[in-house]
Amino acid sequence: MNMDDNALDQALFALPLEEPPAGLRASILLATAYRPSPAFSFLELALLGALGAVGIWLFVLLALGGGTLFFHTLQTIGAFASRALSSPATLAWLAAGGATALWLSLFTGSQPLVVAPHRSGRRASR
Amino acid sequence: MKAEPEDGNLVALTLRGNPEAFATLVERYDRAVYHLAYRTLHDVEEARDATQEAFFKAFRSLRTFKPGSKFSTWIFAIAYHACCDRLNRRKRYASEELPERADPAPGPEQQAIALDQAARLRAAIDALPEKYRTVITLFHLQGKQYDEIANVLGLPMGTVKTHLFRAKEQLRRLLGEMEVTES
Repeated sequence: MNMDDNALDQALFALPLEEPPAGLRASILLATAYRPSPAFSFLELALLGALGAVGIWLFVLLALGGGTLFFHTLQTIGAFASRALSSPATLAWLAAGGATALWLSLFTGSQPLVVAPHRSGRRASR
Repeated sequence: MKAEPEDGNLVALTLRGNPEAFATLVERYDRAVYHLAYRTLHDVEEARDATQEAFFKAFRSLRTFKPGSKFSTWIFAIAYHACCDRLNRRKRYASEELPERADPAPGPEQQAIALDQAARLRAAIDALPEKYRTVITLFHLQGKQYDEIANVLGLPMGTVKTHLFRAKEQLRRLLGEMEVTES
């Protein structure tokens, strides 16, 4: 087969594409555009986890101390929280932290993926 | 007759929350992306995974797609990088140096038996070294748009043209060898 450049180009362009495996398109779409939304959002899951942890903690405290230890712990936490929150310095730090978190959240809405030229691709060309 | 929406418009629609638009892009390019992945990796499962990975990454980073550029070039570049990652992983785990081809195939003599022209051409492309095979595959997919091929591969246009010239030379030689063997 002595092909000239044009004939080879034509033969290449006429070459049929590989047949993708069955179900490939469906699996791509299920992983992207038609991805089912999760039953719970991240925040809801975090909240549920926290509630579960508090529930277990309460149960353990009640089971171990018959309630006395539980109330004592609550009182300790309450006293600590009221002491901390009555301090202007603590309140100022909390406000600063909240403001910083809010400010940062404005810039982290999406995580762009940069497609850079691949090093192995460059190496392969040598 | 209703005009087909352009890729750029489909990207914009997807970003506005229209999943049908991305589905149209997938329908348009999944076969070509799979073809590129399969020709590069020579493995059905890996090509399938690389194709899925490419579309998943594209979907996640659709905001970084530059309006006015070609979606095909962008998705091919993502797919090519996914394939390169897989080839690198293969090389890392292989106990010995890999040959130029990803999988050893029978030589031109065996390949030539009872093959029609398309199959013969495909076998000849498969016998090319990896860098030439990829350039020829992209030439097949993108046509004579050398700048787009260069963008996908991250290579200078001159290098792409040189690779293409050498790839075609080798293809002609391999096809000639196959014909001699057959007759």
